[in-house]
Amino acid sequence: MNTIYIIFLIFLGGAVFTYFAGKIHKVLQDILFLVSILVPAYLFFANVEIGQNVNLTLGGISLSWGINYFSWLFSLIVLGLGSLAAIYAVGFMKGEKRRGYFYFNFILSIMAMTGILLSRDLVSFFVFWEIMTWSSYLITIYNGNKVQSIGIKYFVFSAIGAYAMLMAIVMVHHITGSFMIGDMIHAYPAMALSMQIWIPIMFLMAFGVKAAMMPLHVWAPGAYSNAPMAYTSVFSGALSKMGIYGMTLVLVTMVNHIPQGVWFREVLAWLGGITAVIGTLWAIQQDDAKKLLAYSSVAQLGYIITGIAIGTELAMLAGLFLAVMHALFKGTLFMVVGAIEKQTGTSNFTEVTGLIRKMPWTFLSALLAIIALAGIPPLGGFVGKWMLYESLITSNHYLLVIVIFFASTAAFLYCYKFLFGFFMGQEEKEWAHVKEAPAVMVLPMLIMALFMLVLGTFPGIILNPINHGLQALGYADSYKHLWDTSIILNSWGNKVVLQPILYSIAGIFLFFIAFLTWKGYKNTRFISTKDISSSGEVPKEDENLTFSVGFMQPFYRAVEPAMRRQIDKYYNAFADGLEATFEFLRRIYTGNGQTYAIYVIVFVVVMLLFKDFLF
Amino acid sequence: MEEVLYNVLGAIATFLVAFVVGMTYGGLNRKITARVQNRKGPPFYQNFIDTLKLASKKSAIHHGVMQHFGPAFLMVTSVMSLLIVPVLTHNQWFPNLNFHGDLIFLLYIMVFGPLGMALGAGQTGNPNSAIGITRGLSQMVGYEIPWVLALVALMIQYHTTSIVGLMAVQAQSGTWLMFSSPFAFIAAVMAMLGMFSYSPFDVVIAPAEIASGPASENGGKYLFTMMSSGSVFAFVKLTLYVDLFMGGADNIVILLVKTFALYMIPVLYSLTTVRYRTEQSIRWFWGWPSFFGLLAILQAVIF
Repeated sequence: MNTIYIIFLIFLGGAVFTYFAGKIHKVLQDILFLVSILVPAYLFFANVEIGQNVNLTLGGISLSWGINYFSWLFSLIVLGLGSLAAIYAVGFMKGEKRRGYFYFNFILSIMAMTGILLSRDLVSFFVFWEIMTWSSYLITIYNGNKVQSIGIKYFVFSAIGAYAMLMAIVMVHHITGSFMIGDMIHAYPAMALSMQIWIPIMFLMAFGVKAAMMPLHVWAPGAYSNAPMAYTSVFSGALSKMGIYGMTLVLVTMVNHIPQGVWFREVLAWLGGITAVIGTLWAIQQDDAKKLLAYSSVAQLGYIITGIAIGTELAMLAGLFLAVMHALFKGTLFMVVGAIEKQTGTSNFTEVTGLIRKMPWTFLSALLAIIALAGIPPLGGFVGKWMLYESLITSNHYLLVIVIFFASTAAFLYCYKFLFGFFMGQEEKEWAHVKEAPAVMVLPMLIMALFMLVLGTFPGIILNPINHGLQALGYADSYKHLWDTSIILNSWGNKVVLQPILYSIAGIFLFFIAFLTWKGYKNTRFISTKDISSSGEVPKEDENLTFSVGFMQPFYRAVEPAMRRQIDKYYNAFADGLEATFEFLRRIYTGNGQTYAIYVIVFVVVMLLFKDFLF
Repeated sequence: MEEVLYNVLGAIATFLVAFVVGMTYGGLNRKITARVQNRKGPPFYQNFIDTLKLASKKSAIHHGVMQHFGPAFLMVTSVMSLLIVPVLTHNQWFPNLNFHGDLIFLLYIMVFGPLGMALGAGQTGNPNSAIGITRGLSQMVGYEIPWVLALVALMIQYHTTSIVGLMAVQAQSGTWLMFSSPFAFIAAVMAMLGMFSYSPFDVVIAPAEIASGPASENGGKYLFTMMSSGSVFAFVKLTLYVDLFMGGADNIVILLVKTFALYMIPVLYSLTTVRYRTEQSIRWFWGWPSFFGLLAILQAVIF
């Protein structure tokens, strides 16, 4: 049997067995869960060859699954991050309720994402897309909190996207008579102009919802923060990338072939830029770490969308590199929040402070992830940002550069807020009992943090697969020219100027660390955070010196007018309007027989009165 | 191996030059301020005395690992940007790491230090430190906008993202960029006022308000490292402006003349005004400076 079948069988069987194994023993359930994620991931990377195709016929419809370099790149994100998150989830879910439910949906959603990447026909693409939506929806409402406000919102937006996609698929089938993606791409340049415009719009709507693109992003903050953090790292890190995957395919294989495609690109690029700004501004506002990261995800996806929408080779490299980086650092950061929530019971900056000495390893991974997120050298985030700016400038998007730059500078504010809120500041007695998270949770975070560090100096490790993926999409081999002309992309990333930079930074840093702590470290004595000089006075033990409420107040005051308008308010007003309409309809259809009898009589009377006019 | 050694020695020499020049400028600033306010003021070498005193002191206490790391992070920014910015146009002594696209690198490495420093200051638990840092980061978002507008204008007008490339443009045409791209220069100089955070933009330190902000729990070697990093960084910023807008400098005397002339802009401006609130300062940068920045982009696109 083909390995691709085996992978899906293990996923499906694993999900079911894991669900029921909880009734026997919890450890067995954990083991089964890990097996049903890690084994398919291993099989996929070890046995599935790129270019492999399998066909099967189900119910008269022929399905086709296969893999090329481009989907292999994304499967790296899905299965890599998925495996690490699965290991983390075992630690995270220890002692939680309804583990079977969580594990079942976790496995299904990893399977669905793998399926999307393998699908070569629209039917299986759509089916896997729906499984992904359903499983993520079920995990979003796992806590049973806010099912109405958050769950429904996520579901309504997903449904809008799914129906848009379904309509596009029906239209494509009507025109080409086939469900194969290859046939659709092949037939696209010859379609009527209205179809050429509507089909991509429908698809982009579906993908835009998952990629949390403005104005379809409103579900994301709620859904990301309401799901258990072990899943949110996959939700934000990998699941949102399915939107990016689809968008790239639509843009490159379809929209590129028509002259109107320029407008698609411009609009998408600007939507990405605006998404980045709005997401960043709202992230600065949040006091809950989950919400902060959720808005920050929206913003980061904005950069990625801008990158792939610009569509030059460098911009594609930048967008896809940022996509991989985003999976890494946002996965890590959500895991950090999960670890802190697990150990302290809250994820609110205004409640928990000063954890740095209690959770040092969590802090280390958070620090590296934040540096990568902010795009500060020498970590990988800088490489992506650098390529994005370079590509925006060389493709004449001058104002967009400023917009993106504003978003990424303002991002420092929430970056600092995140680190300070959890780890810095006063060490309160309330949190004196907190211990470092278990190793099974810390290890995945550290592995990803290490990987980000490596990518900052050796970006070629990821740029090379991206280059192969882009070639699969029809781009020229950028290894020859692009990687030579721009330093970071220079041959493989291991002979380039980035290396001296890393060495210089490390050298300077170590020198001054040595200068500061030489002899001094042993002679100085550690004192508590209460033992400080506050305007010349020594504060008393019970004095509250924690600074966390209204943290970025000065900045917020400056941008406050821009934040009064929210797209969410318009949606809510629209929903209220719909509700009022339904209310009115309900008054007509009262369900009372007498009322209906009156309607019939009134109708007959009207007919009789105006019969001369009507007939 | 020998090459690496020469580079390291050269870097140390560059650092010393930057340190001495930056410290002297700081001292002159104090003297000039005093004379304008009709005081006698400290001697111009007062800053050297202060830093040497601090360097010779021992610290008795610390609040944790990040407090040791903070000033070192700060130094990384100063020294890295010193190595990226060409000090003189033609020289063998000062090593230079510059590469294609180093302007963008510079924009980001400039934030590395303050953020690391902010973590160090954060661990001390002093609320004034954190307040100062939030103000500083907010103001940074303010002045980065005109600064980036000016830089992007230069990048698109001359089709290069490297400092050396822009210097070559000026050497070729014989005109300084401050004359050929006047709006970019105006926007950049206005942004420089924020970068130096002298009055009216001294919201970070705000001595009478939040007790020197981020530095408040540091003394001895820590404060020494911070002060010298500040001086070196001031030198780097001035040199960068000279390189970008005033054609660079062939020898050290010309460099001193040009940088000192530029340095007088924030110093003298600071004497005329009192401190803004943070949001006023941010909005100031998003007003006229950004307008000039947009004009610069317009000029770059049209011409």
